[in-house]
Amino acid sequence: MNAEELKGHLDSLILSVLSSRPMHGYAVIEELRSRSGGRLALPEGTVYPALHRLESGGLLSSAWSDGGRRRRVYSLTRAGQRELRARRSGWREFRTTIEAVLA
Amino acid sequence: MNAHGGGRTGGQPGSRDTSAYLESLSRELKGVGIAGARQKRIVAEFADHLECDPNAELGDAAMIARTFADELGTAWARRAAIRAFAALAVAGLLFAAWGLLAARYYGGGRLAGSAAAQLVLGFGVVAGQVAFVSGGLGLLRAIRLRRQAVVSADEARVLVRRAGVGLFAGALTLLAVPVVASGAPGSAHPAWRTFGYVVCAVGVVTIVLAAPSVLASARVAPRAAGEAGDLFSDLGPLVPRWLVAAPWGFAVVIATALAMMLAASGALASDPYDGILRGLAEGTAVLAGFALLGGYLGLRTGHHSS
Repeated sequence: MNAEELKGHLDSLILSVLSSRPMHGYAVIEELRSRSGGRLALPEGTVYPALHRLESGGLLSSAWSDGGRRRRVYSLTRAGQRELRARRSGWREFRTTIEAVLA
Repeated sequence: MNAHGGGRTGGQPGSRDTSAYLESLSRELKGVGIAGARQKRIVAEFADHLECDPNAELGDAAMIARTFADELGTAWARRAAIRAFAALAVAGLLFAAWGLLAARYYGGGRLAGSAAAQLVLGFGVVAGQVAFVSGGLGLLRAIRLRRQAVVSADEARVLVRRAGVGLFAGALTLLAVPVVASGAPGSAHPAWRTFGYVVCAVGVVTIVLAAPSVLASARVAPRAAGEAGDLFSDLGPLVPRWLVAAPWGFAVVIATALAMMLAASGALASDPYDGILRGLAEGTAVLAGFALLGGYLGLRTGHHSS
């Protein structure tokens, strides 16, 4: 799956990955890669602007990690959780509709 | 191609490659208006990423900086418009309460003070309307664009301008309040006078608190292509079909409607001459405001790009 196809879904993917636990940027990218079985050909540098934008939009919060290496760790806010629920529901509806047409 | 995707050739990146890449990223970020703590944080995150995976394909530093500018420019411009409107709403409610109380506690009589005080009051009345229109349309556009990760640079610029002009005009309006409160006749209730000073102080503080988000978004230089749209893209179906694509026609209709309303209110208050004068002044102010700020605030197309 190339970067162009991913456009528009990146936010949902990031929110979903961060719903399991707080992570720093590199871990988010690794998790995306791992969950997709390596099929998401994501330009790594583009994840960080999306993380910053989602944080500015109030869907994520972030803080420097305390122990060990100094890292920016992102977590989902309540608004982010609500947004993820809405996106999941929208995606299911979209998938059902498309499948109904394609079947 | 090197590991960071920066266009350099070579094999495994060494620490010199990494530090050159991070320096380049830092420079490019500053070039698009992302400086200070945000710039340092981004560079620190990329440094951490490269420490985790020295072969990571992070992309060209200039491209990364532009992406940050486009995405943060969008989010910050939207946030600036929303915060500006929230501040103006608080200030506007206080101002309205003070104005309504004036009907009971002003005590009658004309405003004392110099011609300058009268002028300040006049500017305050006009500025209040500019703040309302600019802040309100900024909020409308922010809501309309709420689902977009990236808007065009022109769209972002219009959002920031509407927020900035709204706050500036709101502050001017509030500064007229103490002039009126102090110039009111002796029969004015002292508590109403004091309330005027409180309205000014609280309103100005609210506006000052919203100003940093406007300044932050004004510093970012997004470059995403696309047009900004105009007043009609903000108001959509609220505008009658025959007026769409005729911004000056729309302005004339609004100016005429307001002028007629003021003339009618003057007639109802048994002072039709005063009502007509106020109506004419209002209509002229609306058209003058549209001529002066219409292009800058993206109310009509063709004049709002830098």
